[in-house]
Amino acid sequence: MGALGGALIGVVIAIGVSTALFFGANWLFDLAVDRWRTFLATSGALVGALIGAVIAGNDVAGGPLWVWAALCAVVGAAAGIAASLPGTPSKPRRTRLSERGRLVTFLGPSLLFVALGLVIPLLRSIYLSLLDSRASEWVGLANYGEILTNPNSLDLSGWTEIFTSRLFYAALVLIAVGLGIGMAVGRRRGRTMEALPGSIGPIAIGLFVLSFAVFTTLRGTVINNLWWVVVVTGLSTALGLAAAVLADGVRWESVAKSLIFLPMAISFVGAGIIWRFMYIARPPQKPQTGFLNAIWVWLGSLRPRTTGAWVAVLILALVTVLLAGLCAFGVRRRQTAFAIGAAVTAVPVLWLIYRFLGPGLGGSVPGPTGEPIAGTILFLQEAPFNNVWLMVVLIWIQTGFAMVILSAAIKAVPAELIEAARVDGATERQTFWNVIIPTIIPTITVVATTLIVLVMKVYDIVKVMTAGNFGTQVIANEMWQRAFTELNFGLGSALAVVLFLAVVPAMAFNIRRTQRADA
Amino acid sequence: MSTATASKPGPASGAIERVDRTGKLIYGFLRRIPTWVLWLMVIVWSIPASSLFLNSFRTRDAQRNSGWWESFNEGGWTLANYSEVLGTEQTGGLARALVNSFAIAIPATVIPVAIAAMAAYAFAWIKFRGREWLFIVFVSLLALPNQVALLPLLQLYAGGAHWTIPGTEFTLTLFPDFDLAGSATAVWLTHTAFALPFAVFLLHNYISSLPGELFEAARIDGADHVTIFWRLVVPLSVPALAAFTIFQFLWTWNDYLVAITMIGSNGEAWPATIRIASLAGEFGLREHVLSAGAFVQAGVPLIVFFALQRFFVRGLLAGSVKS
Repeated sequence: MGALGGALIGVVIAIGVSTALFFGANWLFDLAVDRWRTFLATSGALVGALIGAVIAGNDVAGGPLWVWAALCAVVGAAAGIAASLPGTPSKPRRTRLSERGRLVTFLGPSLLFVALGLVIPLLRSIYLSLLDSRASEWVGLANYGEILTNPNSLDLSGWTEIFTSRLFYAALVLIAVGLGIGMAVGRRRGRTMEALPGSIGPIAIGLFVLSFAVFTTLRGTVINNLWWVVVVTGLSTALGLAAAVLADGVRWESVAKSLIFLPMAISFVGAGIIWRFMYIARPPQKPQTGFLNAIWVWLGSLRPRTTGAWVAVLILALVTVLLAGLCAFGVRRRQTAFAIGAAVTAVPVLWLIYRFLGPGLGGSVPGPTGEPIAGTILFLQEAPFNNVWLMVVLIWIQTGFAMVILSAAIKAVPAELIEAARVDGATERQTFWNVIIPTIIPTITVVATTLIVLVMKVYDIVKVMTAGNFGTQVIANEMWQRAFTELNFGLGSALAVVLFLAVVPAMAFNIRRTQRADA
Repeated sequence: MSTATASKPGPASGAIERVDRTGKLIYGFLRRIPTWVLWLMVIVWSIPASSLFLNSFRTRDAQRNSGWWESFNEGGWTLANYSEVLGTEQTGGLARALVNSFAIAIPATVIPVAIAAMAAYAFAWIKFRGREWLFIVFVSLLALPNQVALLPLLQLYAGGAHWTIPGTEFTLTLFPDFDLAGSATAVWLTHTAFALPFAVFLLHNYISSLPGELFEAARIDGADHVTIFWRLVVPLSVPALAAFTIFQFLWTWNDYLVAITMIGSNGEAWPATIRIASLAGEFGLREHVLSAGAFVQAGVPLIVFFALQRFFVRGLLAGSVKS
């Protein structure tokens, strides 16, 4: 209990001293208006005491601190009285001085903390990043060169493989489909391209898949960070928006939203531990204790041409029939989104049927007696997709954040606007895409920028789950290891400055937003 | 099936009725899909934390050999993990670490709230030259990655700041060495500095929207800034102050980066986050208490979260959406 007691006493003392300083300063500035001479004498004494303390603290001359402080205080007070002899300034000038002083008492503590804790350290980090590992020799931009040339942090050598990966072709197909739909609808309406969910959706998903093709091929710490930013920002915002829309007006809305929001209260370390339990992989012969591998192995146990597999195929076939029905229904009612949605959903279902009939779903390794048994996924060890499994943790946390803010934005859309759209004959879907979404675009941007800044600094999750091994290193963890484990101050600072530069665009955006809000 | 009906040029009235009935059925089914998707999402989002929660009540052997879902058949429930976790360090206990967490989180919450409220008032209601740009610079620092400040701050805490005047042998001490490295004080001082831009932004949003006529009237009655701040602004800003307090408490309680940097290897001052992270590091040994430990660490924020969710959400909203 000692630590807590100490801390509480510390807090009480800190608050007491701060309150005393605050009211003392105010009393002092009251004096400036009414009693000019006392004011000058007191301020002189205070400044003198401070100078005395600095002199004694720096061993300029011998003697205990309090002697010097008292001595200089007396000198300061005398100087103050001397300064007041020529005469008292006019009342308005004294009042203005007093107002200035008040401003300092209000703003001073915050400015002092921010200057000492953020601004000066930032400048010093920039300075340190230009020195060598022991902060003694000037090396210019060598540390930054090291970051850009080290294959561990940036490895672009495999870039040609982007164009041969399956992800790349899947992305191209999706983008082509989106463009095709957009152009087809656009021609009907006399335009070259039409932006509508059916065309934007596939293009967005296609670009997302394309980013996977790029980020799985190019490797390194910097690339990992960019991958984190793209995936976590994109999916958290999208899922948060989906949850906000789906939950809007549903019975038990607040319960559903609380449960999705709950991970926000858990620390990144705690979340890392929670998901490590989810991802545990044991040897395939043993019962799995991790939830995800248990499911995966169970799926793998449904081997082709076994009863389990036939049941699965039967269920999936029923789903396919249902989807086909929906698709037909959509075509008949001219609900393009239905038809496309159902058809797109059918693709993975058909793929699952193929897996159950043919090669089998789930991993497969030779069992003790030689016949194949279900294999596990080493979620945290198998590069490069282990990065995605780490990102899942942050998506799990941040979706709630995006949902809460977007949900508030949706509820704040003026009812008259929606009513007007209804009166004009817009369907619910049209109202959503053409009224609600455009209204909340600014909020979506805010959520995305906030997430970009947060994801750029991701550290705890990687540290707890893989410690940056298996190709999952990110800049923040690399920075910490360089600066505080290897004590390479130059490289560590350079990595920190890289992080800083990466969020500068977001900061600029924040500044612009604040300026506009003030105007 | 319905495609055939649709392609008919002029379907009979019976067919239309049948189609409409199917249509209604399908529509009813479709209308409920979003709700099902929502609850599916809720279940998926709840599984990870509930897995940990259930695991924390299982014996070491049960945790090692089977998944938590097996315990509904096999049993193997126990409270022993929690009694170990709340005990001393020898058994992987978190008692001291939890105290340390409070020792960090309480000052790191109280102090920023107090000084940020003053600064927010000054930015909102005291006119001075350069107010706008100073405010913008101050608030834009909220996006600054904390990593940028860690190394210089640790150096400051560990050795103070000194400057040898060029051309002389004389070294001036700019900041004395208080030997703060490795202590909780270093952590909450750092948290205070890091929290201020966001705190001032959030509180300024609220305080600047208070009615100005009220302050005008108070000024005419002879009240100065201190009286206005203390008697009017603080009582009126309680919702915003509460929102920030909860936000900051959760943030500092859950922090790992600042604590591990400033405290380092001084295990006696470790907060709960570092303790459970180190439990996670020694895999196998204390595996069985890890789930209980993680849950105990998360317990405090979860209680705060459920009890005061409204304020927390309000804080997030005020920070992100200009009201």
